Amino acid sequence: MDSFSNPSAGSSQQLSAQDIRKQLKNQLALEYAQQFLETVGKKCFEKCVTKPGSSLGGSESSCISRCVDRYIEATGIISKALFTSQ
Amino acid sequence: MDLSDLNTAEMQKFYSEEQQRAMVNEMVAKLTSECWDKCITGTPGNKFSSSESNCLSNCAHRYLEMSMLIMKRFQSMQ
Repeated sequence: MDSFSNPSAGSSQQLSAQDIRKQLKNQLALEYAQQFLETVGKKCFEKCVTKPGSSLGGSESSCISRCVDRYIEATGIISKALFTSQ
Repeated sequence: MDLSDLNTAEMQKFYSEEQQRAMVNEMVAKLTSECWDKCITGTPGNKFSSSESNCLSNCAHRYLEMSMLIMKRFQSMQ
């Protein structure tokens, strides 16, 4: 990283290596988010929309928002468990 | 930008870091999905009951334990 803070070195080329890393990171983050969204949608549809009606009822919507919160919490519990041995 | 700039030691480090991150991410996502199905049987409430959160954390630990067992089992077959 030190070379990036050195302004005398050919900055345009070094900047673009950094740009590429940034872009890759952004694309990966987008991909992770999309995957997460897809899974949460699947899980919560399963749990909350058991008999689809003509619209999402109030109880279905509130179930969905609780479900999303819990799924995020579950992800936290799992990653914590993975990194603490037992 | 030269293509060889994508193959510097620094970029290699970046790639392997991201690869590792992706693997961890995938593992967490997979386990969360499996353990959610096993542990969260009712409709999701405002907070997890202690048995639900214990089940989730046990589920992750047992999965790891099982993976080790399976690995050992295969090793003993060779």
